Formats: sequence, structure tokens, C-alpha cells
Amino acid sequence: MALNGWKERLFRRYLFWICRPSRVKKHLAGRIESRRALPPLDGRKVRAAALQLEARLFKNPLDYVDAMHRRAREAAAAGVHLAVFPEYNNLPLLGILPGVEQAGEAAEAAGGAENGGAKGPVISLEDVIHYVSPVLKPLVHATFSTLAEAYGLYLMAGSFLLSEDGTVRNRAFLYGPDGRLIGSQDKAHLMPAEEQFNVTRGDHFEAFETGLGKLALPVCMDASYFETFRILEKMGVEIALLPIANAEPYNYWLALRGIWPRLQESPLYGVKSALVGRVPGFYFTGRAGIFAPMELTPDGSGVLAEVASSEAEGMAVAELDLDALQALRQNHPWRDRNRALYARYFPAIYEQIPG
Amino acid sequence: MTAAEYGRRRAAGGGLHGMKAAALSLDGVRVNNLDYYREDLSLLLAEIKPGLAVLPAHTSLLLCASAGELTETRSFGGAFREFRPKAAQWNERFLALHGALAGELGIYLVAGTTLEIEGGRCYHTAYCFGPGGELCGRQRQTHLSREERELGLSRGVELDLIDLGGIKMGLVVATDARHPEVGRILALQGAGILAHTGALERSANTLAQQLAGMWAQVQQNECWGVEAQLSRVFCGRDFHARCAVLGPCVTAADLSGYLSHTGGGEQCAAARLKEEDRRRAGESFPALRMLNPAAYKGNLL
Repeated sequence: MALNGWKERLFRRYLFWICRPSRVKKHLAGRIESRRALPPLDGRKVRAAALQLEARLFKNPLDYVDAMHRRAREAAAAGVHLAVFPEYNNLPLLGILPGVEQAGEAAEAAGGAENGGAKGPVISLEDVIHYVSPVLKPLVHATFSTLAEAYGLYLMAGSFLLSEDGTVRNRAFLYGPDGRLIGSQDKAHLMPAEEQFNVTRGDHFEAFETGLGKLALPVCMDASYFETFRILEKMGVEIALLPIANAEPYNYWLALRGIWPRLQESPLYGVKSALVGRVPGFYFTGRAGIFAPMELTPDGSGVLAEVASSEAEGMAVAELDLDALQALRQNHPWRDRNRALYARYFPAIYEQIPG
Repeated sequence: MTAAEYGRRRAAGGGLHGMKAAALSLDGVRVNNLDYYREDLSLLLAEIKPGLAVLPAHTSLLLCASAGELTETRSFGGAFREFRPKAAQWNERFLALHGALAGELGIYLVAGTTLEIEGGRCYHTAYCFGPGGELCGRQRQTHLSREERELGLSRGVELDLIDLGGIKMGLVVATDARHPEVGRILALQGAGILAHTGALERSANTLAQQLAGMWAQVQQNECWGVEAQLSRVFCGRDFHARCAVLGPCVTAADLSGYLSHTGGGEQCAAARLKEEDRRRAGESFPALRMLNPAAYKGNLL
């Protein structure tokens, strides 16, 4: 950053002040009109919402809090037990930094931040994350913890670029309807651009036992690898909550390389949220949706609900029948495991990875 | 230069033009007589001029049943059980025919599948012949559906590559297309092509099944896919799905990954596989390089 010395310290204290959790909680308390308890489950049927959020930079952190509140309230009004926010859900908060918008525009002119443009001489995304992360972490936690409790939701807050131990992580968070942080998951498969930003990848997958069933939080590219979902299935996961933020023009086929085929390979339900729209340096597209093994969708498509637009806000809502999922797993018509084959090749085969 | 060497060079194509690969459905090919079958297939392949041709699954059973060698042809299971004890003898003719055809045309020919009996076990196996007519590889199906297990099939436990003279190929037999471990093991051993011998029954979501199968395996592994799907009604079953030549999404003009596919009454899908295109695709979406084995540990066994 351009600041140093006392000016830098003063500015940092200012950021902490405007993002302080007590301010967020007080702000939300004045806006939450009616609280809601988690709706009772009909057997083991979970009603879920996949949110599609429009990316924009917020100069005032409370505007960000309002935007998250509006979407959580919409999800609650739809009667869901579970709502899922997208990847990079703290990117809009970078707007609190003076000059970020201009730096993004400069990066865009240099080919887009997602293509490494932001690593130019003006500013690097990695440096920004290290600088601002201590400020934003408490704000994010206060926002989603408060919203989850107020609306009686299991709330996957999305994933966040965070600084930890000198490295950047892309980490997803799950909150329970009591506002408690249930757990987190670091993205394990990175995009090349994230490698350039020196994001450190996760080295394991987590599963979380909840009142809705067993949940997991793979992040975006994690769904391009069958290994992720095989492991989640083995851990007993029933619903994968997947935040995405694809920085490329929308194409049905490119998007199809993600969660849909993974759920056909490893029977789970999948709730995919998407960040869409433009912020300087990035152009995000995607279609949030709720997906399932083909055998569990009435039309055999493997799609339960999907937002129609790839660039505008939206929400997909569907009911997930976890008993039907278990029945399919136990009596699947074509699935098989060949442990002798796997023992012969795994894990040694991964030593052949090119590059 | 021997005929086999010449054929190998011609088949591989190499250079900027790449190998031409074809996936055949056997739609319209006469199967009630082995001589007619060979004649029709020979004419078709001579017209397409591929370096690699892939036939669908159940070719051997189809030919045996259609030639009147089986009496129980009303049900697939019945025909299968009757075919099993006859398979070893029938295979001599089946394999010799395809070996001769490959040699005559100077191509790599994946002859579809038959039943292989060894050590009292029965495997569903695909065979590949080289441009000199030699047997250059075989692959047993490694994952079995519930029905296949009930029919008494055993699982193969090896996945080997076939060298096509410049590019290596792995065979993906039947239901193995829906098990991503197969494509991953083959790709990490160096396969540039996954050739699939398939037979899917006609249904409302057949295409979705195919997308979840070979299409997904190709996208995960930065390789080519040559997907041959049977298009015949026999032994009480209506097999019908799309034959396709596949590549990483960006190798197709519309980013679909489909370089060619059937669907309008064609007997085959054919396209050239340009390695330069595949290399560029790997640079834009380096799926294999971004694998994270540390996160898998022993959890895939």
C-alpha cells in the first residue's frame, strides 16, 4: 500500500472501526424486522437455496451487510433450511479501500485480474488480502453469524480470500441456526490465477454433522475433480455446498465441467451458488443451481432447480430427499467399486502428475 | 519398411494434421453373416479412412446371435448365458476377422467386446488390432453393473496402454465409462486417447448419461475420447446412443468438447485429433497439473 508510518496505522484503525462487529450487529438489529426459527424437517427432506449474487464493490461496509441481509431474508422467506452464498464473497468489501477500484481498472486494462493483471506494479491482490484480512474477518463472522441466528438458517457464507500465517487461503464457512460457526474448508484445487496470487491450497476435506444431515463445503474448482466427491461420499456427506465465482464469459459446456458430473459419479446432492457481474478487474458469470444424481430427479436430468440468468441475481430453491439418496446409494443399478484395481494404482499413480 | 510400420505411421498421422479417429455404431451394417459384416465394415472404413476405428460393446454377442448361432435370443440375459460356453470357440473367428480387417485397411481397430474365459472366470473384454493385423492390446471391464455381476462376470484389475505410434490409448469398456477412476488411471499413465466401447439402452436421458460418462472423463483428463455406442435392437434390447469424438471443451469450436457426433442418421462420428490443440487446451485448463494428491491420501481406496 502507498501509506506508511503513522498514516498507515491511523488508516488501519479507521478500517477496524468502521468494520467492527458491534457496529454490524447493531446495524442488523435495527433492520431485522421478524426473526424466524429453523423450520421443522419433513422427515429427512431439506429445503435449500442456492444464491446468485451480483458482484459490486461497497465503499461502506454496512452496505455489504445490507446486501447479505437482503439475500438471507429472501432465502428465509422461501422457507428454506439452508442457504448458500458464493465464492470470493469478501471481494465486494475491498471497495472500502480507497483506490481499489482504480487499481482494478488498471489491472483490467492489463488483461484482467483473473489473468494476473492485478500483479502489476500498481497493487497486488495478494498484498491487499494480507492488509485487509484482519479487518474483514470479524465483520464477515458478525454478519453471517447474526443472519444465520436471526433467520434460523444453516448458512454457508460463501468462501473468502483470507490471510493466515503469511499465506492466502480461499476458505468457506458454515454457520448454524444458533449463529455458531460450525466449520470451514480451504479450497483444495486452485485455478492457475490463484496460484499466481500465492493462494495456499487445502490439504484435506471436512464433513460436518448437522441437524440437516452431513454437509461439506468444497470450493469451486474442487468440483472439477472426482477425487473430491469420492472422498466426501466416503465420509458420509449427503449435501455438498459449492460456492463458485467463474471469471470468464458464460458457456454451458465450460460450466458443465463442475458439480453436475461429480454428483453422477458419487451420489450426493449439490447446492451451487454463484458470484456474477463485473467488478473492476473481474467479470464473473455462472448459474446457481441445485443438482442431484439423475436417478433422483423427476425428469432424469440431474437438475432440480437452476437460476435462468448467468449474469443477474437470482435464487434456486429445491427440496432434497436424503432418505431417497441413501436408498439409491444402497441399491444402485450400475455403480461398483474395484478395490483391487485401486490398490494397484492408488496413490502411486499421482506421482505421474505432469508439470 | 514393413507393412505394419507403414500402417502405423499412416494411422498415427502425426504432424499438424493429427490422427483421424472414428467411432462406429454398427447401424446399417449387416450382422447376420460374418462375410457380409466384414464386407460392409470394410467398405465403410475405406470410405472414412480413419487411423483409428472403435466399435461398440457387445459386437461379438451381436454377431453370434444374429448369425443364428444362439437359440435363446428373446432376452439379453438368456443370450448372454447361452453365449458364454461358446465364447472361446466363437472368439477365434471373431478375433481373426477383425485382425484381418485391421491389417487389410492398415488401421488400429478396436473390435468392440466379447466374453473372455480364463481360469474359470468370465470377463467382458475389448480387443485392439494394429495396422499389421496384430493383436496390440486388450482390456477387461473393471467395474460391473449389478446385472453384469448377476450374469457372472468378473472384474479386470489392470489398466494398460496401447501405443499407437506416437500417442497412447487406453480402452474404457462399457460401464467403466461411469467410473472416473478408470480415465484418471489411464491418463496419469500417459493416455492421450480414451477409446470407449459402449452400449446404452435407448432412454429419455441417454445423452445425460453419456455426458456423465465419457464426456466427463475427457474433460477431467485433458485427453481425446472416441466413444462408440451400439445402435441396434437385438436380444430384446434397444441399444441407441450417440457416437462421438471428444476433446477438451476448448478444442471444439462451440466449446462443447464434441469434435463430431452422430445423431442425424450417420453410421459413425469421425474427426482428426490434433495434438497441438490438446496441448493448448491443457495450458488453458490444466486439470491434471492442479490435482492435489496431498488432499487424497489413502481416501480413494
